[in-house]
Amino acid sequence: MSAETVTDTTDTATDPDTAADQVFSVRNLWKVFGPKADRVPGDESLTGLSVAEVRERTGCTAAVRDVSFDVARGEVFVVMGLSGSGKSTLVRCLTRLIEPTSGALHVLGEDVLAMDRSRLRELRRRRAAMVFQHFGLLPHRTVLDNVAYGLEIQGVGRAERRARAAEMVEKVGLAGLGDRRPGQLSGGQQQRVGLARALAVDPEVLLFDEPFSALDPLIRRDMQEEVIRLHREEGRTMVFITHDLSEALRVGDRIALMRDGEIVQLGTPEQIVAEPADDYVRDFVRDVPREQVVSVRRAMRPALEGEADTGVAIAPGTVVADAIEAVARSGGHIRVVEDGRVLGIVDHARLLAVVAGLDPDAGGSHTGGREGVAA
Amino acid sequence: MTAVAPTPSAASKAQEPQRTQKTPKKQAGSVEADQRGKPPSSPGVLRRLTDRADGVSIGWRLLALVAVAAVAIPVAASLWGSGSWPSALTYDVRAPLERLDAWIVDNRESHWVFLYFLLHISNNTQYAVDGVFAFLDGLGWVGVTVAAVVVAWYAGGANLGRRALRTAATALGTFAVIGLLGMWEPAMDTLALMIVAVAASAALGAVLGLLSGVSDRCEKLLRPVFDTMQVMPAFAYLLPFVLLFGVGVPSALIATVIYAAPPMARLTALGLREADPAVLEASASLGSNPWQRLWTARLPLARKQMLLGLNQTIMMSLSMVVLASVIGAGGLGDAVFKALARVDVGQALAPGIAIVLIAVWLDRTTAAAGARLDDTSSSGPVSRARAWAGRAGALAAVAVAAAVGSVVGRDWPVNWTVSISAPINTAVTWVTERIDAGLPLVGGTLVWSENFARWVLNPLRDGLQGAPWWLLLLAVAALALLTGTWRTALTATAALAAIGVMGLWSGSLDTLSQVLAALVLTLALGFAVGVLAARVAWVERAIRPVLDVMQTMPQFIYLIPVVALFNASRTAAIIAAVVYALPAVIRITTQGVRQIDPGALESARSMGASPLQQLRQVQLPLARPALLLAVNQGVVLVLAIVVIGGMVGGGALGYDIVYGLQKSELDVGLTAGVAIVCLGVVLDRITQPAAARRPGGR
Amino acid sequence: MNTRRIRTTLVAGASALGMTVLSACGAAETNISASDGIVTIAIPSWVGAEANAAIAKHILEKELDIRTKIIQMDEPVAWDALSTGKVDAILEDWGGVPKKEKLYIEEKKTVVPGGDLGVVGHIGWFVPKYFADEHPDVTHWKNLNKYADELRTTESDGKGQILEGSPSYTTHDDAIIKNLGLNLKTVYAGSEAAQITQIRKYVKNKEPFLSYWWTPQWLNAEVEMVEVELPPYTEGCDADPEKVACAYPELPLQKFLNAGFAEKGGEAAEFIKNLHWSTEQQNEVAKWIASDGMSSERAAEKWVKENRDTWEKWLPKGD
Repeated sequence: MSAETVTDTTDTATDPDTAADQVFSVRNLWKVFGPKADRVPGDESLTGLSVAEVRERTGCTAAVRDVSFDVARGEVFVVMGLSGSGKSTLVRCLTRLIEPTSGALHVLGEDVLAMDRSRLRELRRRRAAMVFQHFGLLPHRTVLDNVAYGLEIQGVGRAERRARAAEMVEKVGLAGLGDRRPGQLSGGQQQRVGLARALAVDPEVLLFDEPFSALDPLIRRDMQEEVIRLHREEGRTMVFITHDLSEALRVGDRIALMRDGEIVQLGTPEQIVAEPADDYVRDFVRDVPREQVVSVRRAMRPALEGEADTGVAIAPGTVVADAIEAVARSGGHIRVVEDGRVLGIVDHARLLAVVAGLDPDAGGSHTGGREGVAA
Repeated sequence: MTAVAPTPSAASKAQEPQRTQKTPKKQAGSVEADQRGKPPSSPGVLRRLTDRADGVSIGWRLLALVAVAAVAIPVAASLWGSGSWPSALTYDVRAPLERLDAWIVDNRESHWVFLYFLLHISNNTQYAVDGVFAFLDGLGWVGVTVAAVVVAWYAGGANLGRRALRTAATALGTFAVIGLLGMWEPAMDTLALMIVAVAASAALGAVLGLLSGVSDRCEKLLRPVFDTMQVMPAFAYLLPFVLLFGVGVPSALIATVIYAAPPMARLTALGLREADPAVLEASASLGSNPWQRLWTARLPLARKQMLLGLNQTIMMSLSMVVLASVIGAGGLGDAVFKALARVDVGQALAPGIAIVLIAVWLDRTTAAAGARLDDTSSSGPVSRARAWAGRAGALAAVAVAAAVGSVVGRDWPVNWTVSISAPINTAVTWVTERIDAGLPLVGGTLVWSENFARWVLNPLRDGLQGAPWWLLLLAVAALALLTGTWRTALTATAALAAIGVMGLWSGSLDTLSQVLAALVLTLALGFAVGVLAARVAWVERAIRPVLDVMQTMPQFIYLIPVVALFNASRTAAIIAAVVYALPAVIRITTQGVRQIDPGALESARSMGASPLQQLRQVQLPLARPALLLAVNQGVVLVLAIVVIGGMVGGGALGYDIVYGLQKSELDVGLTAGVAIVCLGVVLDRITQPAAARRPGGR
Repeated sequence: MNTRRIRTTLVAGASALGMTVLSACGAAETNISASDGIVTIAIPSWVGAEANAAIAKHILEKELDIRTKIIQMDEPVAWDALSTGKVDAILEDWGGVPKKEKLYIEEKKTVVPGGDLGVVGHIGWFVPKYFADEHPDVTHWKNLNKYADELRTTESDGKGQILEGSPSYTTHDDAIIKNLGLNLKTVYAGSEAAQITQIRKYVKNKEPFLSYWWTPQWLNAEVEMVEVELPPYTEGCDADPEKVACAYPELPLQKFLNAGFAEKGGEAAEFIKNLHWSTEQQNEVAKWIASDGMSSERAAEKWVKENRDTWEKWLPKGD
């Protein structure tokens, strides 16, 4: 699968050359581990092979293969995949915690791969902060000093950094625990510290590497809400790695689904669920409650005579589940309205079709997507 | 002569078997770690040069060896004959050493190396020790005692908790008893030397540890050096230092630093390498530069290991400082030697007890500090103001005590001492007279000694010495192949051949026979007691203090009773070795057996396995890594005490080393020391399977 | 990627520091005496020597008011220390290190002889009296082979055992055995303590034994031993260590002083040069220390109190 054939089904995709307003712009990125790794990306004979075949031929493991995407300012970009799909490697390549093997990588228009050491450190210190699955807290420091750690590295004075850290501690809901040590906190609390540490440096983008995988389901949910809240309040750009589809669907504005180092589909949650690019994705999203994700835009039909004037009005982005409720209440059809214009009509038959997976996009046809699907 | 630090509380320390098993190769070779009862996962003190076990089966490899032997042996035998090592194959290493010796003696007051380098070192160490001694002297006995108590209390948490009070009480008891025994002055001598030695060893160890912690190349370079330092008997390298630095404090101090720095270095490196990668990555992700990462993350994360290293360093310094009295370092060791010259066990015991107590005090203090690091996770918020107040209070207490001390007098009051010499001597004589020959039915120690020598030692030695040299090389190669790889076999054979080349063939085989016998005895006893202690809690509690004393008491003290019981003979040497090596073996065994996966044991029990079946089928097989480590430790410790064996009639290499030191003959002492290291390599290679050596490969 | 930089920095830093420290101070003193004004006497590990040093210390401190320190060290080591000035004097030298003696006295001139101690030392082969009483002819070397069987132990490889002491002692026994064709084997106890313990053990059980032994020795007061006659000592018969086949000489024990101390040591040096007492006197004090459990200080005090006539002559003349 080459760059040209990767599907970008979103409307936000832009020309890479005008990427200055993109927080991250990634083109044809490769990360290959192993001896003489750099010859793998250029080798035409290898690019078509599976990961296992490449390993057998060359002894190299291709963790990220020819990946391209953009992350727009203010969005939550989710990279999702099962373990071993290369997603964690990918996010580390973004700040060169892992050095990419080849490709192009820009942050706000600046070439990351061309950065020297100090420039790269500046990037990590001020522009992109990361939250880790295993927290990575310093056990010998108090919560406050952990949160202040990033500022300390920047060389911020003690008083100032502690003041700012205290603010962040409060912001993530740990007020009063600043003097504790990480070992005295629960997993959820520790990850809040990790989050506060990342926030303390006021970065342009937050990178999350499976931040909640190690937490209990209930706490995980809390933390997800926390992230959504933060995003709502601050509008900060986020790149979010997860292996949990429901998490991806909940927090993500757009989702890149990875498999064997490649992006198999990139789109909004609704696109992923409603228009799976291939059997792998379809399989993946099979158990997702479609009515929670698919919007009425996909369920509507043209208005018949008279219908455009009656019935409850809803926005096209409303999810099917909400529409079902409205239909059930009103007993009739409802209108999908945008900017005062009626786009279409949904009724119980259309909605049930979505729930049952019988809507046109969900079917077996691979070509159902509007903008084409990967071969 | 301890190759390993004696650590009284070893067994009391919590183990971290999971961790050590996870990262075993990093710890390979850390002899010292076991002393805290901490089995370093991969036993291997002497080995490093091993490669991955190849796929070829043992049978094929042995067959190949036989083929090689079939060609090589007739050639070798016809060229140089069978029997003892052929003189045609020896190389005279002594002559150059003698020349070096003469050169040093001639030039040490004129050559620039001495004037501008070595003498500075030696003079400055002398000043440092003198300074510390003057400081201790200035504090007076009240001041020193209070300072020790305050330090211990502080290490224990500086509160009224049980741990703080207990460590403080240990310190108080230690110094009170030292005073009571009339050992105050030599103890201060020893303490002054110790303080400088520990400071220097810890600093050097930390720097070397830092280097090998951050650089793979440095680690590769330093590891064999550390390994050699630990197996090489200290007696063998005391002499070169005497030649270079003259007698007295400087040589003693430098030899101590060489001996005690490796554990600090190893554990520092281990701590740095073991640092949680998630933390380091988080630090890097925040844009830290390598220095920031080192100072803010790696070093703090390594604190616990470093403290453990410090503990080891302290214990090893103590044993070495005592030993260094041989070259005029004074202190408690000197008191032991003087008492020995009069064949007065009771008199020697007083400084011996003082040494044990100092070891216990320092061990408990550092261990308490380590435990405190551990539970920063559970203690309450830390207040800076309170910490500073505590420090100021402690300082004030010491200052007041010093002032009081100068009024009361600097030396411990003479009439507050008791002499334990006479009663101890009476007791020792009474016991030895009862058990040396007069035991009904079983005979007595003298009879055992004689029979052991006649039926075990002599045949073993004569067998080894009588066997054709090529046969021994072949046997070693085959044994090493059985457990290891081509490479281990080659190393082992080369080490044995090196002994022959140095011209120490026959003496080394004599020593080897003693070491083998001591090893078998140690392991048999150690495994038996260790398993028992693991299964019966009160046995473990009962033997723990005994093991503490066995490990810390200077071995010179039991030289006399051992001779009284077993005659000046190789048996006496073997008994001394067993006494010395047993504690470590017991501790490692106990811990290994106890720490196996409880799930496995539970499932065996649920199937109705009898206790014996549990032991045989579950506990022992699962404890295999620990048992292998015990074997490795047994080898190291038994070899380390070969020198003491030389002082009770063991002869052979041990005697050569003592001779070399006492007669100031570098060539004799050093070559014998190298031969002991070679024996260590041979034994290690044929007892440690390749898998244990490097689990997981690199 | 970063470890290399850390390493380079560390190495550079360490070497820079080392160079600075060393270049800052120029040539080092070759001779820092333990401390000025304190006389340091080295003693070997036997009690006779401790007796010498103890009375010397007692008189120096009590009569001349000079602080004195006693350190125990083996002979070769003590000679090195004597040469560098870490030790000011040794009081009882058995001539065990002729090479060093020659080097330091004749070539380097850092050590000067301090005269006879007065005590005469003698090394020889000894058997216990009870054994000699029973077999009077054992006291001649020619008959030793007859008793090889009785002297055999597990350590002596089927030959008769001659018990040797500490490795630091001067011995030609292996050569003597070989050259006299004796059916004996040297077995090294390895230390004086082990040797004495072993001898006591034999005596207690009245077992026969043959030992390398010497006088003066405090144990002689406790255990009666008889010397075995070896071919008589003649001047130079022990010149080649490989070919020795004669007895050990009578050895007037020697004192040696550090050259600087001998010159500038004033009263202390003069006193030590004068010190001179008899074998019997030394044995008496040694026995108090070793057998009677007296501390060396107490023994010295007692002897000094009782023997004013002897030691008064040692005090520096002059005013």
